[in-house]
Amino acid sequence: MSEKYETHVSAILSECPEADPKEVAEAFAKYETEFYIPPQDAMRSILRRFKGEQSVPTNKSPSQGGSSAPRNSRKVSRLSELNGEDKDIEIEVEIISHNMREQTIRGEQKQIAFGLLEDNPWEDKGEKTRWEYKDWGPSANLAPGSIVRIEGASVNEYQGRMSLNINQSTRIAVVREGTRPVVAPGEAQDINTLPADGYVCVVGRVLAARPDQIHKKDGSGSLDITRGRIADESGTIGFLSWEPFEHEIGSLLKIDGAQVRTFRDTPELNFGRTTNVEVFHDKNFANADALSQQTVLTISQFRDGARDIDAVVQITEWAKRSFTRDGEERFLWSGQIADPTGRCRMSAWSELPITDDKLPMTVRLKAVRVRAWQGIPDITVDTMDQVEILEETPWDDSLDLTNHTAEVDLHEMATGGSRVGVSTSAVVVSVREDSGFIQRCTECRRVLREGACAEHGPNDGNSDVRLRLVMDDGRSSVSLLTNKSATLALIGMDEGQMKDAVEDEGQMAFVQSLRSLLLGRTVQASGRTIVDEQGAMMLADDATIIEEDAGMRATELRAHWGVS
Amino acid sequence: MQAGGRARRQPAWHMLASEFSEATLNEKGSGEYDPSFVITKLGAKVNRVIVAGLLERLEVRETSNGSTLYQGQMRDPSGVHYFSVGDYASESMRELTLKLVEKTEVGEPVLLLMTAKSRWYQTDEGAVYTSLRPEEACEIDAKTYALWLTRASEGTLQRMKIHSDSLSAEPTKEGLSAAGVPDHMVEGLLLSRNHYGDIDTENYTLNVMQALDIAEGRMEAASQPAPAPQAKLDDEGSPVESAEDDVKDTLVAIIGQLDQGDGVDFETVLTNAGARGIDRQVAESKLDELSNEGTLHEPRFGWFRIVS
Repeated sequence: MSEKYETHVSAILSECPEADPKEVAEAFAKYETEFYIPPQDAMRSILRRFKGEQSVPTNKSPSQGGSSAPRNSRKVSRLSELNGEDKDIEIEVEIISHNMREQTIRGEQKQIAFGLLEDNPWEDKGEKTRWEYKDWGPSANLAPGSIVRIEGASVNEYQGRMSLNINQSTRIAVVREGTRPVVAPGEAQDINTLPADGYVCVVGRVLAARPDQIHKKDGSGSLDITRGRIADESGTIGFLSWEPFEHEIGSLLKIDGAQVRTFRDTPELNFGRTTNVEVFHDKNFANADALSQQTVLTISQFRDGARDIDAVVQITEWAKRSFTRDGEERFLWSGQIADPTGRCRMSAWSELPITDDKLPMTVRLKAVRVRAWQGIPDITVDTMDQVEILEETPWDDSLDLTNHTAEVDLHEMATGGSRVGVSTSAVVVSVREDSGFIQRCTECRRVLREGACAEHGPNDGNSDVRLRLVMDDGRSSVSLLTNKSATLALIGMDEGQMKDAVEDEGQMAFVQSLRSLLLGRTVQASGRTIVDEQGAMMLADDATIIEEDAGMRATELRAHWGVS
Repeated sequence: MQAGGRARRQPAWHMLASEFSEATLNEKGSGEYDPSFVITKLGAKVNRVIVAGLLERLEVRETSNGSTLYQGQMRDPSGVHYFSVGDYASESMRELTLKLVEKTEVGEPVLLLMTAKSRWYQTDEGAVYTSLRPEEACEIDAKTYALWLTRASEGTLQRMKIHSDSLSAEPTKEGLSAAGVPDHMVEGLLLSRNHYGDIDTENYTLNVMQALDIAEGRMEAASQPAPAPQAKLDDEGSPVESAEDDVKDTLVAIIGQLDQGDGVDFETVLTNAGARGIDRQVAESKLDELSNEGTLHEPRFGWFRIVS
């Protein structure tokens, strides 16, 4: 229920911080169900109700900040002692971060502060808990790094997350001025350590910046924005500025209060009204040429949504395709590219000077973007000048990249992006019960469950063979699907023998025989990988058991670890 | 800047029985689907293991709610894994269990390799026992067993090294990372150090040496002298008999562990034995035998102590 009214409840809470979000949500529900009043129409009434409740006690004690009116506050030393209903609490905390934001409340611009605070401020290495806070005052006494005593704040619990509300009647006493360095804001973080979301401060050099437009989805017009990329010595990140951005490429900037948002698999900095962008001076900061080396990526590093990346790749296949849009014939060029770390696809919206007889050819790609289709990266080239043809390959040119597979450590494979043309080895820790013969949907090749496809309903299906295994290196695991030829090669049977085995012994006994063959053994597999939130999956077209000599390994271990 | 993996599969640790069975710490996240872990002295945060050994015992045990539970133990050079297979297990695991029960009944030796989830149990007295719930298992030949032994040894050696490296580091995430502790060991080592304090890893070294002896085919070096003969009522040396000796050893170990000076009471011994998969009636009769043969005495009725 509370989720349904989330935005409305938070609007009420921004006016009445002490109101209980649950009660507010209940009020909205009551209006809607019992009176058929939609939440946006109930706003005013509900606001009045909670505002009234809240303003009564403050009106009765006009002695602002004075100690004459004894507070009946609950004094705690740890945030963990508090629960969602606690009001009027007193605690000493360190302010970790402090950000300002403007918010329009009933047509009036209002400054609000927010950030993180941390309990147990006096113990150097003690256990500390961090909460978010909002300061509706906002108080001038809150500064990052300072330790303050907060008297009369209230706890807000929303969807299991606890935070502290500081309002105008809350007293804030600075116990220790901000001295020690704190991370953000004002303290720049290395770009490669930025979180996947949140407010940050970075110092970096502008590597790219170009005006762009965002068209509003409702067709009500477009917004002028600037897209670009900044870098420090630790890494590089794309940015999107919603405000006019006038800095030239190469300028060194300090950017405070930028918001990190992750689009597809790629984090991006957002500059808005509250972001402070200023020129920064540091003679020792790396120059743009050195920094731009970092945007040169290998295929293994491509991530969906990445922009402004450079790469040196070999084009191994190239073809022109045509399609019709809005009654007009249009062209798209696409093909395969490769480098020593793997293979992927590339598409171009304009004709490139590529002909079959020149393939394979090595090119430098500049400021291209990455899309992914079914987990496989696809480089998009918009204009011809993004492609520079190279005379030589920077790697050993005897390497035949059309069939090259890159050997990848299993942990790297499991934690990296989706890749094509890779190979790995690890111990098999699972052979799934549905390994062996399967029926695939005649329409879409999905595996049939009890004779039916999830999409296309019952059908006879086409018989196929595959194994479902899990490979594991003790840190990560990759689920491994072997296709028919890889399966038959791995288990040393042809399809007929396999069929006999299943019919004679039954599926479970067959699976047990596969386990006796494969569990605990190292398998080398190659193919392509799909990596998403669920984990990593390898679709293998080749797999073999690695023969290992236990005695030899044991002797090697003794020598290596000095155990004898 | 990585997406958090909620449903990612937990990795499997190659681990000898001694390290797993000596663990007395667990961790369970607050969410319903959060994985639970057993944290070993060497700092492995174990949700899943891949273990192997000789199947020593596998018996059906009727539970109070009518479901069937098979309890077994599997021995590797370092000690014993206790495991149970219930109605919740996969079809293939239950089918295999039935076959294995037949084999153990006639005393046929079985080398088993299993991928299993870690379990953790604490008795009312505070004693902690680890056990396993196999997901998949299969019979293996000695060659595969030897391979597993080398992998488990390597894993143990690596953890011992990382553990000893971590001792000089500041006991924080940052401190351990700075000392070169790999990511997947950091949390476990912090928890381990907090819970176990200083540990003696000498035993693990001996376990590894023995495991490597076996892997190298040096069975003589791996063989240890038989335990000192005890006064027994009957000594026929049958496999059944040796399994019963294990029950006695387990009972003695339980009493030794729980005795605070006054002995351990009958009920506590039996509950703890139950947690180790020993049938109540068997435990009762073995307690009698142990008293009769003079290994245990009863300072007062129903309280047992080891005769020192």
